[in-house]
Amino acid sequence: MEQFIQQCVNAMQWGSFYALIALGYTLVYGVLRLINFAHGDIFMVGAYISFFIATALLAQGGLFGFSQGVTLALTIPLTMLLTSLVGVTLERIAYRPLRRKGAHRLYVVITALMCGLVLENGNLAILGASRKALPNLLEKQIYTFGTIAVTNLKLWVILAAFLVFAGLHFVVTKTRIGMAMRAVSWNRFALPLMGIPLDSVIVFTFMLGSAIAGLGGLLFAMSYPVLDPYMGAMTGWKAFIAAVVGGIGDIRGAFVGGFLLAFVEIMVAAFLPSTFRDLFAFSILLIILWRKPTGIFGLPLTTKI
Amino acid sequence: MPLLEVNHLTQRFGGLQALTDFNMKIEEHDLVGLIGPNGAGKTTVFNLVSGFYTPSEGSITFAGEATRGLKPHAVTSLGMARTFQNIRLWNDLSVLDNIRLAQTHWLGYGFLNAVLRTKKYFAAEKRIEEKSRDILEMMDLSQYAGECPKNLPYGLQRRVELARALSTNPKLLLLDEPAAGLNSADIDGLIRYIRWIHDEFKISIWMIEHQMKVVMSLCQRLTVIDFGRTIAVGTPDEIKANHDVIKAYLGDDNL
Amino acid sequence: MKRHTINIIFLLAAVLLVMAAQYGLLDNYVLTVLMFMGINVIFATSLNLVNGYMGEFSCGHAGFMCVGAYVGSLMSVAFFTKSALFGGPLLSPGLAPFLFPLVLLGAFVAAALCGLIVALPSFNTRDDYLAIITIAANYIIISIIENIDVIGGPRGFSGMKQTVSAMRHVADIPWMLLWVIVGVFICVLALYRLMTSTYGKGISAVCQNEVAAEIMGINTNRVKIMAFMVSSGLAGVAGVLYAHVYGYVNPQAFNIMKSTEGLVMVYLGGMGSLSGVIMAAIAFTLLVEMLRFIIPAANDLLHFVNILPDSFELSQIWKWVIIPLILIMLMQFRPEGILGNRELTQVFPRLKRWITLK
Repeated sequence: MEQFIQQCVNAMQWGSFYALIALGYTLVYGVLRLINFAHGDIFMVGAYISFFIATALLAQGGLFGFSQGVTLALTIPLTMLLTSLVGVTLERIAYRPLRRKGAHRLYVVITALMCGLVLENGNLAILGASRKALPNLLEKQIYTFGTIAVTNLKLWVILAAFLVFAGLHFVVTKTRIGMAMRAVSWNRFALPLMGIPLDSVIVFTFMLGSAIAGLGGLLFAMSYPVLDPYMGAMTGWKAFIAAVVGGIGDIRGAFVGGFLLAFVEIMVAAFLPSTFRDLFAFSILLIILWRKPTGIFGLPLTTKI
Repeated sequence: MPLLEVNHLTQRFGGLQALTDFNMKIEEHDLVGLIGPNGAGKTTVFNLVSGFYTPSEGSITFAGEATRGLKPHAVTSLGMARTFQNIRLWNDLSVLDNIRLAQTHWLGYGFLNAVLRTKKYFAAEKRIEEKSRDILEMMDLSQYAGECPKNLPYGLQRRVELARALSTNPKLLLLDEPAAGLNSADIDGLIRYIRWIHDEFKISIWMIEHQMKVVMSLCQRLTVIDFGRTIAVGTPDEIKANHDVIKAYLGDDNL
Repeated sequence: MKRHTINIIFLLAAVLLVMAAQYGLLDNYVLTVLMFMGINVIFATSLNLVNGYMGEFSCGHAGFMCVGAYVGSLMSVAFFTKSALFGGPLLSPGLAPFLFPLVLLGAFVAAALCGLIVALPSFNTRDDYLAIITIAANYIIISIIENIDVIGGPRGFSGMKQTVSAMRHVADIPWMLLWVIVGVFICVLALYRLMTSTYGKGISAVCQNEVAAEIMGINTNRVKIMAFMVSSGLAGVAGVLYAHVYGYVNPQAFNIMKSTEGLVMVYLGGMGSLSGVIMAAIAFTLLVEMLRFIIPAANDLLHFVNILPDSFELSQIWKWVIIPLILIMLMQFRPEGILGNRELTQVFPRLKRWITLK
């Protein structure tokens, strides 16, 4: 039983990463009906950005010599800002021209997939294969409840995921720009007629999604301090599965889906050889898409003739 | 035995009851119409009858077979064809290919025959080619056989769609607003055309149409539906005088 | 005469190639590149059936290649060689050259059956969702093979070289080149015949308007199953040829990168254009081989003119930056590919005078 609860805590942490990335997928999909296949790699870029910022700021060998606390406090907003810039750049140079031309969606999806590959392999080509490790930014504390041990980092990760979700939910449902985002997803052509510039809504969406992925990257790098260029690919795919399982386009779906997938994965890994984990994750995706193509929260598709 | 018999057809989409207790009988060589205001559920009827939706309740018998639950292609092979409200041709295939492809349900050969180019393949292709050429000839479309439908004017596209539906060898042809988007000169042509098809191919036709001129001059019987309910059945003259129909189209005269 | 022109040209080219290889006019490297070119042609044209003609977006095609590679390799090793896994050869090694088509067929069938993983969900889903399913299928296949330790798991599987040498023992000719040529011929011919038959054009009908296809009497589900199975089956043939040319397979050789190569070839050539995709597959193979030399050369040049710091070397990884970039550029400027969805004979009508495919 204790082991089960311990695994649940781990699943919560793991699910937080999935949820943070899945939210970005779902935001972009909700607004543009585009699967931003490069999103997982934006998460990876976020992790690398946080690495560079933290190393530059930190006392040992850094340029500025800040303490751990100050470094962390500065790294979080800077990482989110820079990562969101990467996301927006991608949108500007790769997706927007296609959208302007009214290109078939397929072409945009291919572009997204290829942008992901460019980010991954470009990173590997430029930074080399040597693995980077994020310096320690948070003194480790372990809280024990009976036999269950929880690190403070784990709690922060889970808390961060919930805070982001709550904030995002507020933005999407209560603010003007959030309503504009939902309006775009209903009818992209009517929006400019209502005096809301389409491009700013899209840029905002990409910024939001990428900033959250950047935060996820930072937290991931803090929890598993070894970075490699392909880390975003697999995690990104899984997060994407989470978003689809939840019903892509719905932020509640992405959030719940993230935790659900993590739970399944951790439990599979606990009882079966860990090599089966991916197999299960992808098989679940396959079955869900086959039986209920629009996910848990998604509405059924209808064809009109 | 009627060609098509529809009993107590009801269709719900989520909470919306799109069609309630719809009944219809079509005999061989009938020419009947289905009218009603926008959103009345006319296309839903066609979608149910052609197998595109499975009805929530009710039964459909076509050519002696219960077709409820059959996929559309199976219904087509029993001898029912339809056209669409908004033209749905295969735009990048030639007109001839469009006609040919509507005959795949009696193709009679499969993958291996196609790849090995057996006698059976050549025989089937020859048969289909001849039949397609005939249809194009009859429909006065031979000169466009090699064109892609997307390059043809709207009226011709409608005619290609009709030809395609006819090439499936139907016993019953469902026409979903054949006059949509046509000007009044075209409409006179269309009326003659439909009558000619009806006589020439000896088939039953059931059409949805908004243009009163078309239905009134063609149809032997009309069914009027509004909000998914049948409000009147009768000859065109009866329908014209029906109080409920006038109310459905023009609103209550007390208002 | 006219209707056989293309066949005769192909036959002559094939005979010349095999002779050249036989008498040592082609060195091993050129020979390998040629064989990979053929394998890429099969891989790309088979993907084109689904991504081009049917308009779906399958991006896990390499998964089926993987199935074909493994099943075919296992068959060939079991039948014709003495191995630790299966013990002695089940059949006489002397039969290898005669029964190798059986191995190709086995790979085709196995991969085609795996194609069902994608074909069945495609009844309900299209577009992006189907794309995801194909990627998932790719990962699942690789993951399953990695988890089967008997056939080497992630370490891979080898022993196919012995089959090739068994064939050489019977007659000392470049067997694999021959089989690749046969494979390309059968694949291209089959696809051409399929797509010019009314039966096969059902695939285009499904692509252009699925609702109309279904209502006009085309059994769309059966068409989809057929297209996916043929497509993945042919990928399986490409896989088994690949395995025998290399003499070694490992699951990660068929990951999403390999699938991406297929996508590049299809979209470079133009979706739904058989001749375009064949040309693109040839051009792509040459490009990849050229990058093998261009990247080090560029590295030397950039170091020479002191643009790059000494500590930085351009590695072969750049290939994987350049290839996706090509596709990105293509999508921006000529998304319909080199030939669009037209065939070579439509772009150059005079070719028709010489070539009629039958």
